[in-house]
This record gives sequence, structure tokens and C-alpha cells, in this order.
Amino acid sequence: MAETETESGLKIVDAFDLEPDLRALLRPGELVEGIGGQYHHLPRYFYEIPSHEAARQIRVTPHFGLNEFLLVDLKEAARIRAFPRYVPCAIRILAFYLERLREATGAPVHLAVNGGYRSPAHKLSVAATPHMWATAADVYKIGTVVLRERASIETYNRLIEDLTDDLYVMPYGHEIGKADDHIHVDLGYVSIVPREISEDRLEGPQPRPRFAYEERRRGDRRGWPREPLPEVLPAAAHGSPSGHDK
Amino acid sequence: MAKSPAQTPDAVDVRQSVAKAEQSLYASVLAIRGRHEIERLGIAFYDAETTLQWSYNADLAFHAASTMKLAVLLAVFRQYTRGELTLDEPVHVRNKFVSIYDRKPYMLDINRDTEGEIYDHLGRTMSVKQLAYYMITCSSNFATNLLVDVVGVPVIQTALDELKIDGIRVLRGVEDHGAFEAGLNNEVTANGLLKLLRLVAEGKAYGEEASAQMREILLDQRYKSGIPAGLPQAARVAHKTGNISTVHHDAGIVYLEGRKPYVLVILTQFSSETGRTTAVADVSRDIYECLAGMNGG
Repeated sequence: MAETETESGLKIVDAFDLEPDLRALLRPGELVEGIGGQYHHLPRYFYEIPSHEAARQIRVTPHFGLNEFLLVDLKEAARIRAFPRYVPCAIRILAFYLERLREATGAPVHLAVNGGYRSPAHKLSVAATPHMWATAADVYKIGTVVLRERASIETYNRLIEDLTDDLYVMPYGHEIGKADDHIHVDLGYVSIVPREISEDRLEGPQPRPRFAYEERRRGDRRGWPREPLPEVLPAAAHGSPSGHDK
Repeated sequence: MAKSPAQTPDAVDVRQSVAKAEQSLYASVLAIRGRHEIERLGIAFYDAETTLQWSYNADLAFHAASTMKLAVLLAVFRQYTRGELTLDEPVHVRNKFVSIYDRKPYMLDINRDTEGEIYDHLGRTMSVKQLAYYMITCSSNFATNLLVDVVGVPVIQTALDELKIDGIRVLRGVEDHGAFEAGLNNEVTANGLLKLLRLVAEGKAYGEEASAQMREILLDQRYKSGIPAGLPQAARVAHKTGNISTVHHDAGIVYLEGRKPYVLVILTQFSSETGRTTAVADVSRDIYECLAGMNGG
């Protein structure tokens, strides 16, 4: 079983190891067609979030809690909404970019309901949307500005485009593929494969690999001494190894 | 209080009393219609105490206005009793809907004055039960459209069909101007709404528990210028109004101390836009007085 524990206390799971009903909803590795006719493999490796409390407490970046990416309504399948919940590992990359957006705007960035991760079973998941990879965000409010007007949406769209080429920004408009009551950004179809996973046998569950940081955390818990850092690094770098998860 | 015919020693007296009441009602309804210049009028009522049922143009179809929200409420509780929906499930409060006419998205013209608490939840979630409550008690169009999206128009029609409620046709949510221009409107008849409310009153709308919850919501109605305005202060009315430019409706279950309830539906349509009208209240008062007269009051 590919299952391990990360620095934030979350296990990484291989969705092929999940219960059949969950697996059927998450459809790991399955090819899904996008609106433009391109096909993409759905993510396979997920963080397991044990409880609502954990989702509320765990910060993915300094300003983004895990729960913000899990806000869904009844359009999401009830089984997916029940804890333990699962979110693709790429959520960290999305959060990293949203944190940069927050720095650039200098104001809190609010994700809309159904605007973070959406499973393939979500009613809004009509085609391969990066939301199914946890690499898309719908932002409905920045600071106190509710994004309902063309001017505010286009202003922030421009800001994001100037910030990075990595984020796709949906243009303002009323038609499908455009947004008029939020800002949609996404990183495309990014899947994270933990470094310990061998990709030559992706079609089914594999034996549980030994994850490097799992060993490290186990050592920390048991008080095993760690290798000292080389002298070239400043002393401050000897502190906690997991800065942004705390 | 009038007794039912089976309990009355002299059945002939009862029949005469009913005939007199009906005649008197008919005359007074015609007078109200003339006085208020009502272009079209539909009335239906059923009194559980006397088993008296009376109607006037009760199969005439009207623009439903907000009375269609009763059908949405029914569909919500259908899904609830079938286990397909729980009342505390979260719904995204988002002002974006799709027209049934051309599938184009549209938004409601909302502000804090018209939508109050729901407006404050924009971008967040509210529970199905909260939305149902605001849909009925404040006649929130926003809550209605959100719930129509939750249950779906076909389920609303299925609920009506399952309960054999003819005379209510729900095609869409509210403020779908494209559909309105194309003549695609929700319609009701007095008999249709009467049937629906009778089922709710008698605990037969998806069971006693669901019916009781619906009655509880309907009793909290904030708009009281229709049926309640024609009744004594002590009366409690579980009802839903419907007002747009030329139509003013009210449909409800009337609870009076010491007797079984009666169900009353009053649908009115005027030739031109009217402001406040007391027509519905006047009809309500007439019917109340007629029933009180039969009771010897």
C-alpha cells in the first residue's frame, strides 16, 4: 500500500488503495476529455484529511488553510464530502501560487464555494477541468472587493498575468469558458507523483514504498539525532525542517 | 360552529344552509370583482370542519407569480423524504442562473433590501432548510432559484404528478426574462393550489412529518396583506402570496380557534398594473364571514 505521513500530519494515499466506492468516484489515473478535445490522466496520489478539525487547522501556506480548498456544496458527491476526505497532492503548488497572489494584492484572497478541489463526481465537473486536479481556484473576493464587475475582474486578471506566466487566467465574459462573477486561475493538469513511487506499474496498487521523509519524521518522533548541517549554512537553518506547514 | 352533515340531526337544514351560503358567496364575490375591477378571478376553498367545498373559476390558469414556490417547497420535501437530500446540506449562494429559453446565463437584480440575509451570504453557503424558509417567508426569488437548481424542474413536476396535483405547471425559476418574453411561464389554477395545500394540511404531502415541516414554514409568512388581512387577529395562516405587476394571489391554510382549518386560494389578475389592492383580503373576509354565518356566528 502506498500510504505515508507528511510533515503536516497528512497521509499520502494511492487512490487505487481506497475503498471501491471512493475509487469509483475519484477515478485515479483515468483519462478524461477536456473541452478542447485533449485527454488527461486524473490524479492518483491524494492527501488524506482525517477530520473537519484537521482541515481547519492545517495551513498549506501561511495564509491558506486546507479547508479553503475543500469548500463544496451539495453538487459534490456526499461520499466525497464525508471525512476522511481526499485532495490531490498538487494542492500545494496551487496554494504556493495563491500565496504569491496574496502578496501581490496585499489583501486576503477568498476562494468561492466549489472553487477549489472538485472531484470527477462533482456536478460541475462536466469535462476535464483543472479543479479535478486541485490546480484551479475560483476567487470570488479579494480583500473587501466582491468580484462581480467587469472592471474589478479585469484589473485583477491583469495583475495575475503580470505576476506569473504559470497561471492561466480565464477572461471576463458571460459565455462558457469565461467568468463574470469570479476570477478563475489554474496551473493546467499537474499531477504529483511522490518520489518514492515507481511509474512503471501505474495501472494498479503497488507495495508500500519507503518514503524518505517518513523515515525522517519517525526518527524525529523517537528523538533520534539528525545529521548536523554543513558549516557553510547559517545557524538559523538548523531549526524546524517544515517552515510553511506549521 | 357548523357541524358536518353526518352529525347534524336535520340534514335538510344543513343543505339549505349550504345552498344559502353558496348563493351569498357568489353574489359577494361578483360585487368584489366589480368593485376592484378584477379582470380575472379564481377562488377555491375547502373547509375541513363543514366539508364545504366551493369554487369560482377554479380551473382558470393564471400566471403563478410566487405561488409556484409552493411547488418548489413540495419538491424539496419529496427529495428529503426519499433520502435524496438532507435539509442541512449546504448550497452555494451564487447569483447566476441559466435561462430555460436560450440557455444563456442571467443574474437576479438583488440587493440587501430585497434579499436581506441571503444577500449577506453571497459567495458562501446556506442550508437547504434556510433557503426553503426564506423562499416562503420572505418570498425570496434568489432562494427559489437556488432551490430550483438543487431539485431540478423535472423533479418539481414529478412531485406534482405523484400527488396527482393538476393545475400547477412549473417550467422554470423566477425572473427568467428571456423565458417570460417567449411566453414560457409557470401557471397555477385555484384548484391546483387547493389540492396541494389540502395535502399539506392533512399530512398527506410526503407524510405527516414532511407536511408538518412545510406547515411550520408557511405559518411564518411575513406578507400578511392577503388572506390574513380579512380574518380576525387570532387566526393563524400557513400561506404563500404571489404578486407581480398585474396579479395578486394568496393561497393558504386558515387555522381558527376551536375548529378544523379551511384551505383557501384566491387568484386575481388586473388589466393594468395595480399597486396595493385589498381585493384578496376582501374575498378572504367574505369567505370567513360566510363560514361564520353558517356556524350561526
